[in-house]
Amino acid sequence: MVTDTPDLQLIALIDRIAAQGADAETALRDLYDISASRLYGVALRVVGNRDWAEDVLQEAYLNIWRIAGNYRQSLSPPMAWMGVIVRSRALDFLRRRASERADTMQELDDYVSDTVAGDTPDPMDTSQASEQAWALHECLRKLEAKQREVVSLAYLRDLSHSELAEQLKLPLGTVKTWIRRGLEQLRSCMARFA
Amino acid sequence: MNLLKNPQLLDQLAAGYALGTLRGGARRRFETLARESATVRASALIWQERFASITELQAAQAPSPNVWKRIENLVAAQKRAQAAPAVEAPMLDKLRQTLSLWRGAAFAGGFASVAAVLVGAYVGVGLSRQVDSQDSQLAQAAQRNAQLVAQLKATPDIQYVAVLADDKSAPSVLVTFDPRQQALVIKRVGGYQEASDKSLQLWALPPSGGPKSLGVLGGDKVIRLNAVEGEVKEVPALAISLEPKGGVPSEGGPTGPVLFKGALLQTTT
Repeated sequence: MVTDTPDLQLIALIDRIAAQGADAETALRDLYDISASRLYGVALRVVGNRDWAEDVLQEAYLNIWRIAGNYRQSLSPPMAWMGVIVRSRALDFLRRRASERADTMQELDDYVSDTVAGDTPDPMDTSQASEQAWALHECLRKLEAKQREVVSLAYLRDLSHSELAEQLKLPLGTVKTWIRRGLEQLRSCMARFA
Repeated sequence: MNLLKNPQLLDQLAAGYALGTLRGGARRRFETLARESATVRASALIWQERFASITELQAAQAPSPNVWKRIENLVAAQKRAQAAPAVEAPMLDKLRQTLSLWRGAAFAGGFASVAAVLVGAYVGVGLSRQVDSQDSQLAQAAQRNAQLVAQLKATPDIQYVAVLADDKSAPSVLVTFDPRQQALVIKRVGGYQEASDKSLQLWALPPSGGPKSLGVLGGDKVIRLNAVEGEVKEVPALAISLEPKGGVPSEGGPTGPVLFKGALLQTTT
């Protein structure tokens, strides 16, 4: 059944929130129940601290509550649309903290350096992913774990080569090489899904 | 070099642009090309969409059940706030009059202290509900404001200043803006300290449209926030609200009570 796909279910909920009718709050609750743990994973990945990630998650759902009407024009899969909202709220959060305290980056959990240091085979999860995410997953999967992590982190945390090198305690040349090779492989692989 | 004739290089640059690792001059040149060519723009968008799906692939983690409760409360608070009226127009008119008085006073010399007293007075008139005890409160407020202005004089290049007062006209927060440093400096001068699960958030109250967040205050006595002049120019008043820790997004406006409010005045014309 077409109507059973997770994407269509999410889109229907976003539409109900956008309409701001009597059932909008119920729709927000349902959307939260379906998507919160996935989006919390994104927030946690960006800010690296559980309390902060919960603040980010809260801001993101309030954001979704207000701008649900913009969803349709994005033409994006719903989880990716929400994921991008979480990412930008999380980046805002880090910038706010950085302007308040200079040592923010040192407080980041070991959470991230662990995932990059260890050669975790395939931590990605496609159980709710869109077609587009599935294609990206297939291509990321072909990268070495370290390259995959550095590429993911560069995007999620909006980091430059030198910021990545600093946060991951890797030589700058290594980071540049991993990113360049990672992007080359991704490009040729994604071309097949275009 | 014509990027359109080199699709491989275009794809490579677009991927680096969307990932965020293309920086500096190379990034600006790419942005210029993208504005000129729909093909370049399209490749950038394709890669942005592809990378957006990285957010779909992160391992799920369970947040604390409190998060939903907080969201539920804030959504309810927003609905209430939408029903409440914004800052009264007559009060803003008074604040604008104050501004012209300030400018006039500058010619007479010693402008800063005169103006700050006027600000305190007008804020008091506008906000205090306790009419009976107003006079003595205003006198006290004026005295305190004059002291604050002395601190201001030590800092060069301040072009905007606001003394935010609480509902009893007591000056509580001093805000200055330095356009050259693009910095708002916020000094807590009252004894107020928010609870550890709350944050104070600074808002610009523009002449039209809703409040715009200027940032969330840390717990320190003196706080610096980055801001550009456009964010404070022609803004007649500033306010500080009490919000959940970390603050709330700007788009929805304040969700908690407004604790301090005051006119924002330009020190030079």
